[in-house]
Parts: sequence; structure tokens; C-alpha cells
Amino acid sequence: MSSELLYPSGDTIVQVHDLHKDYGGVHAVKGLTMSVERSDIHCIIGPNGAGKSTFFKLLMGLERPTSGSIFYKGQDITKQPPFKRARLGLTVKFQNIRVYQDLTVFQNLFIPLRRHHSRSDILGQVTRLLAHMHLDGTENVPVRNLSHGQQQWLSIGMSLAVDPEVLLLDEPTAGMSVEETAETAKIVRNLSAQGITVMVIEHDMEFVRNLNSVTSVLHLGKLFAQGSFASIEANEDVRRIYLGTL
Amino acid sequence: MQPTLDRWLGRLNGPQTTGHGPAFWVASLVVILGFAFLPQFVSRYQVITFSNYMISALLALSLCLIWGYCGILSLGQAAFFGIGGYAYGIVALNLLRDHGNTDIAFLAGMIVPMLFAAVVGAIMFFARLQGVYVAILTLVISLLLGTFMRQTADPSYTIGAAYLGGMNGLRPASPNDPLLPSLIFGLGDWVWEFDGRSVAFYYFTLCVLVLAYLAFRWLVNSSYGYLLIGCREDIERTETFGYDVRLIQISVFCISAGIAGLAGTLYAAWGTYIHPDGFAVAPNILVVIWVAVGGRKDPAAAILGAIGLSWLSVRLTALGEISLFVQGAILVLVMLIAPDGIITTLARLIERTFAVRGRPIKT
Repeated sequence: MSSELLYPSGDTIVQVHDLHKDYGGVHAVKGLTMSVERSDIHCIIGPNGAGKSTFFKLLMGLERPTSGSIFYKGQDITKQPPFKRARLGLTVKFQNIRVYQDLTVFQNLFIPLRRHHSRSDILGQVTRLLAHMHLDGTENVPVRNLSHGQQQWLSIGMSLAVDPEVLLLDEPTAGMSVEETAETAKIVRNLSAQGITVMVIEHDMEFVRNLNSVTSVLHLGKLFAQGSFASIEANEDVRRIYLGTL
Repeated sequence: MQPTLDRWLGRLNGPQTTGHGPAFWVASLVVILGFAFLPQFVSRYQVITFSNYMISALLALSLCLIWGYCGILSLGQAAFFGIGGYAYGIVALNLLRDHGNTDIAFLAGMIVPMLFAAVVGAIMFFARLQGVYVAILTLVISLLLGTFMRQTADPSYTIGAAYLGGMNGLRPASPNDPLLPSLIFGLGDWVWEFDGRSVAFYYFTLCVLVLAYLAFRWLVNSSYGYLLIGCREDIERTETFGYDVRLIQISVFCISAGIAGLAGTLYAAWGTYIHPDGFAVAPNILVVIWVAVGGRKDPAAAILGAIGLSWLSVRLTALGEISLFVQGAILVLVMLIAPDGIITTLARLIERTFAVRGRPIKT
């Protein structure tokens, strides 16, 4: 496939093989096979119901696949519970943000940070993460007082707090203004430059174009097309599935 | 001296509990002193009843920890209370003659419920049971234990010097065996005895309750407390940070069972009896009412809720069979007006009125 042409010296970090997920009749993922290279930004697009969010849940272990296997750094993690995958360096920011609504920004970051850092270390780490996520000075703000976009950033920051190698971002720009979306693209590119592999599910094509990365199109639970964003944009078949004629 | 005091108080203060700063601690001291001087002003009978209220408060603390902080609604706290009481009684009846004290029985009253909780918790939480399923399962376990204990009237249900006794409750196996004792602590030649009907027992229970409250504050404001809250707020999200949430749930279930068992131990020692009625639906639900009415997200609120409602319940009993009905009505009213509990809502009101700002979070 074209990704192999783009990355001939590929260093695969995540690989799924013939993945199926059947929710009692609803076949959300239907024979998905694909791989993701280390330090890449890998965008995943596709019409509603293509199985994108289910794919992320399977990768994180929040759902068990009906069949198929998932490899992480060459290791079969198909049967590992989510916390073990997280310990291996895989974590996720969910579609519906999922910050701790009753707590402050500091407390939200405290929980993930405490996994790898001593209590005395955490204040410095919080400052570092907040600067990174454009949330400086919000330590004592209750999370529910943040804007939607700020909550998205905080949630990404919480995922980063566990020092992941692979970060799954499910619709990171949902509910963001144009400026915030552009800023998020910068953040994602920055993470990739630091060596973090970022997989992004997005509906905002402007954002995906801006990232200009490897893009996979999912359709009816399968990999439909893969390549640079330009090649995907030029693909007539992809246009057709979005318009619903295929 | 001052910095040491601050450091110790700092460990007890934190964003997870209501109240901090000098005003709160002075007020707490006044309340504790109020309880300490209570025996000077009320009758002996009332002192004995107040000992029981404080035992109830301890049971409320156990539910507050698991429900208010970790989001696990257990409808079987009375089961751990009962197991604690029975464990204390059985061990005490057997060892009293040889040891002359109830040291080991007192420990057994906490450890046996914790072991039981570890087994039940492992089954429930490794199976990833949540919410209403945990509530139903814990209640069913309590009812099953009650059913079992009620049919132990047959003399074959004898453990050494202890006869389970079915409906009549735990008693000595033969007339030659000692009766179920109150607390007797022994260390070398020293022996301290706390008769359940005495003022000394009241003070002992008060000390246990105050220590449990302080330990509770320390626990929930520690890093472990944050993890409990992480599980309460969003268990799936917490797991994606690499925490084995099942172990957090099992451990808090055990700690909670230990507190409930301690309460059961004190109860058995207080009345020198323990019987299967404690495993029924009503005692299990009462704990939930105390904690919900007081405020499930704060230990002081849970304690005051338990003491307040227990006191009210005894008052109402004089008027006939309306006690449980009135408490149910109070629960419904509180859920509608102040869903976070009366005490918690009042505390927030006071905080807002005096604009006592939360001290910045310390790490």
C-alpha cells in the first residue's frame, strides 16, 4: 500500500490484523488490517459509522475484538486489559473529552501524573503540561468553568501526563474555534516532533489537511484507502463514500 | 513545634474533605469537647445510647469511604458489621479464659471482615461489576449470611466455646464457658477493661471515632484518595492512565469492611450480644440513609448524619412504629432539596458566607 512507499524504512509500532467487532448483529469493525509507524501522525477519517471510535476502543482494550489481533511494538496485546496497555505506553483521549468534571485542573492532572511522579514532583510537571497545552495559570480553576476547547486541551494534557509513546486522539478539535483548531494542529505536530506517535480521528478536514500526514480512510469497518492527505483528497472513491453513493 | 504541627495538619487537610484552617479545627475541637463533657450532663442510660450512636457513626464512615469517595454503593455494610461482631464474639468466647483479655478478638473483628471483603471484592471487581450490580450483590450476600446465621440453632453449630445460637444470637457453648465479654485489653500485667455500660466505654468509642475520622481525612487527601476519586468520577479514564482500577476497588472495599467490622466489634462488646437480625435489609439501608442525609462526600457529614438520625430514631420510637417511615421521608426530602446531604450543603453555605477560601492545593 502507499504508506509503504512513503515510509520504506518503516518502523511499525501499532499493527492490527483482520480485526472484527460484532455488537450482537452490528458489525462495527469488519476485517480491519493496518499498521502505524513510530513517530508518525496518522489521521483516521471516514463517514459516520465507519468504525473509527470502535477501532480506538479496541486498540485501548476497552472493548474486546470478536476476532483478530492487535500488536504493539511487536507484542500481541489483544488480550491485555487497558491498564496494561497504558503501562506499555499506549493511551487515549476519548471522543467526549472525559475530564474529571468535579475536580480542578490541578487535581485532574494530579491523577495521571501520580503514576510516574513523586508527590513533590507534580507541581513542576503540572506547570510544564499547562504551558504546553496553553492553559497556564488555570491550576485552581474547577474544570467545569473551562471552555469546551480548554477541556479538550486539558484532556490531551492528562493523556500526555503518563508519558505515552502512542497517543490516540478521538476528535481532538470537536467544539473548538478556528484558532483553537489551528493551535491544536501545532500541538499535535509538536508531539510528533518529540517522538510520540499520534493517531487522530477527525471530521474537520481543514485540520487533517493542516496536519498533512498519513491518512487512512475507514469505511464499513474496513480500511478503504491509505496514503498522503493529498492522494486521499484526490481519490474519487473516497469522495463518493462521503457522499453516500458507494 | 509550629512547622511540625502544620505538616501534620497539612496531611489531614486537603481538597477532598470539607473544612480546613484554624476556624474549622477549633470548631471540631469544640464539638469533640462537647461529646467529652456529655456524660457530666446526661443520664447514664443516655451515655450508653450515645456510645451506640458513635458506633453507628463508625459504620457510616465505612460507607462514606467506599460510596462517597470511590463511587461504589455497597448495600451490605451491615454484613461486614455483623461479621465483625460475630468474629469478635467467637474469638473472645474461646480465648477469654486462657488469655484473660480480648486483644486478639478485637483484631479478629476487623481482620475477618477484611478477608471476607477481599474474597467478595476480588470476585466482583475482577469480573468488572459496577453500579447497581455491586449494590444488589452486596445486599444479597448480607441476606444470605442472615439466613445462614438464623438456622444455626442446632447445637452442632458450635465453634469451641462459642455456640452460634440461631435467632437468639451468639452465646457460650456450655454453662461452664465464660459469657460474651465487653472489651478487655491486656498488655503484660496491665489490663484495661471497658464495660459496654460504662462511661469508660463511651470515652473509648469517642477516641476510636475521632482517630478513625482523622485517619480517614489523611487517607482521602493522600495520593490514594485521588485515585479513589478518579475511580468515582470516571473509572475507564482512570484505567487508561495505567492504574489497575480493580485493585483500587478491592483495596477500598477491604478498608471499608475493616471499619465496618471495627464498628461491629464495638457493638458486640457494647451490648455483649450479636444476633442475625443485623444482616437484614433495614440495617443495611439505614446506613445508606445516614450517609446520604448527612453527606456522602465528607466524613464529618456522614458521622453527624448517623448520630443525628440515630438520635432522632430513638426519639421517634417512643411514638410508635413510625421511625423508619420518618427516616425514609427525610431521605426523600434531602435528596430533593440538598442532594449532596444536609451537613455538606450547610458547610458550603457557611464557607460561602464567610468567604473562607480553600487554601491552594499543596503537593
